[in-house]
Amino acid sequence: MNTITLINEKAAFREINKLEPEWLYRLRKRSWEAYNDADMPDKVSHLWRYTDPADFIVKDLDPLRETLPLLPDYQFVDLRQMQTIHSAFGYNTSGRETYAQITPELAEKGIIFKELFSATRDNPKLTEGLLGSLIDENFGKFEALNLALWNTGFLVYIPDNSVIEKPIYLHRHPTGMSTIARLLVVIGKNVEATIIDDYSCHCRHQGAIANSVVEIFAGDYSKMRYVNIQRFSDGSHTLITQRAQIGEGAKAFSVFGSLGSGISKINSGTILNGRRAESRMSGFMLGAGAQHFDLHTTHHHKSDETFSNLDFRVVLKDKAQSAYTGLIRIEKNARNCEAYQENRNLLLDKGTRAESIPELEILNDEVHCTHGATMGPIDPEMIYYLQSRGIPENKAEQMIIEGFMEPTFGRMPESIGTLTKELFSQKLSASRQPDGEAR
Amino acid sequence: MNNIKSIFSFKDIHVEVEGKEVVRGVSLEVKSGEKHAIMGPNGSGKSSLANALAGHPKYLITSGEAYIDGMNLLEMDATQRSRAGLFLAFQYPLAIPGVTVANFLRSAIKARDGNEESALANFRKELKQKFQLLQIDELFATRYVNDGFSGGEKKRLEILQMAMLKPSIAILDETDSGLDIDALKVVSEGINSSFSKENAVILVTHYQRILNYVKPDFVHVMINGQIVRSGGAELALQLEDQGYEWVRDEMLEKVGV
Repeated sequence: MNTITLINEKAAFREINKLEPEWLYRLRKRSWEAYNDADMPDKVSHLWRYTDPADFIVKDLDPLRETLPLLPDYQFVDLRQMQTIHSAFGYNTSGRETYAQITPELAEKGIIFKELFSATRDNPKLTEGLLGSLIDENFGKFEALNLALWNTGFLVYIPDNSVIEKPIYLHRHPTGMSTIARLLVVIGKNVEATIIDDYSCHCRHQGAIANSVVEIFAGDYSKMRYVNIQRFSDGSHTLITQRAQIGEGAKAFSVFGSLGSGISKINSGTILNGRRAESRMSGFMLGAGAQHFDLHTTHHHKSDETFSNLDFRVVLKDKAQSAYTGLIRIEKNARNCEAYQENRNLLLDKGTRAESIPELEILNDEVHCTHGATMGPIDPEMIYYLQSRGIPENKAEQMIIEGFMEPTFGRMPESIGTLTKELFSQKLSASRQPDGEAR
Repeated sequence: MNNIKSIFSFKDIHVEVEGKEVVRGVSLEVKSGEKHAIMGPNGSGKSSLANALAGHPKYLITSGEAYIDGMNLLEMDATQRSRAGLFLAFQYPLAIPGVTVANFLRSAIKARDGNEESALANFRKELKQKFQLLQIDELFATRYVNDGFSGGEKKRLEILQMAMLKPSIAILDETDSGLDIDALKVVSEGINSSFSKENAVILVTHYQRILNYVKPDFVHVMINGQIVRSGGAELALQLEDQGYEWVRDEMLEKVGV
């Protein structure tokens, strides 16, 4: 139904703006063309079997296409917003308002944390060639759109041998109809750091679209923890594409927690690019009402003796749906790798539906790989056990589910872990919506 | 002069599991201060009876009556039965991953006593005492319920729960199985110290062993879903000595086979 509009729009991008580096302009323009050239994904295509791509079409692209993000006005930075538990704080409301703050101590260490558009001008060495390289214009139609029209974003750069104890906290809080956001993280060797990427909104209107792309480069022997929390209003549609590429001996811990959005599609992946790199990815989805979740994960083993472990847990009530597809790819020249994948689904009501599909592309024999999925209601014997100790049935159910999630919450930094746990419990104990109406 | 009262009784209980009758008309009256033992070979219906009385959703009581402190047990769900004072120590306690022992017990106490600060302060103190009594490491409180526990640890946790919840009637289903002799002594001590003139205990077992430490006033023999013989502690010794065959023979004689 949108084909005609798209063809008409194919004609022009915009002229280069004097604030804009030329390489960025070319990248955007190329991506815009790729977006227009790419066919709309259909249900036959691999990643779109379960979700309708039409849900992510931004209807009016003109305001995004014709303008650049303005350079942020740092006068508006509200210092009170950065809590002492964090070492850096990024906040964006909609495209035009993106703030980035960092403690003076971190700045002295050479750590750079700033709004992405200004970073492309001020720090070309950290952005040109990296931005849009893990997730480029050919990755997918909506990723091409993101690279062409992103209007808010951050750069995080951490030089070699830096240990940052407190998390870097990004709060993405769009207010407009649609936000196209990007995050670029460049972490050097032997770095230890945690990044919290927290998405929320109070968007009342139906169909507000958030299209976010996250690219992470983690150097050799680094320990990188990335925590992504999606707690948008149920009326919104979320599309998050994330890739981390990690070097030799590096350890990546990625956590994805999805609570919000009417329609949420997350595609996350780690590329194990150096010998003995390790990736642990985990997360949860809690669906209620008529929510629809689609999650794809990739663990791409490109080097010898790399290790990956994946553990996603899904809880659905009312008429919520989820689809999980998880790819493990082990290249021919990546020997003695280990890869584990587990997806567990708790279906609390009859109207819920979950899919779980492992995808293995293993190109050599010297691997150790397992995958497993479970699906079903809570074991009634467990509920009975708690009841037999005087705990009411609904409380028993809640305790068992929270226990089921405990390992995931345990992998988050304390601040966001506590918040997520609270939101999870609130949503879980909220009264049932048998009609499946989105709130 | 006599303040002994009936705290738990059931009459002509029939139990079905998945359409099959496994308990076929069992009656018992338990008064405060009494210790009963129900003994019987494997598959005689002892555990089914215990679970049915505790309200297990799979064990259906098809006929009979049961009362706890004068209240109709069969009208209550498992939660209400527990709150009315019934406790079942499970033969195979389930693991509840992600739920710590402390959280589990606190929730159980809270569900019963409400959310008062003083109750929670007492809870901590009491938990510590019971850990000592049952010779359990305090780190136990932070472990997930039965998750990765040894058989002996699971049984100790069951008795710990009983000691914390202070039921008026405790049914202990094969609490002795899988325990070595030292653990058996500790667990028995836990049972005895929770026992008083105000409450009562039913031990379900097929070995006489635990009865050396927790001395029963009455022993009932259950075979094929029925109590076929009742007696004093000496009956347990006789069973230990001669097995269940003679009871079975006697039963068959009675019905004229």
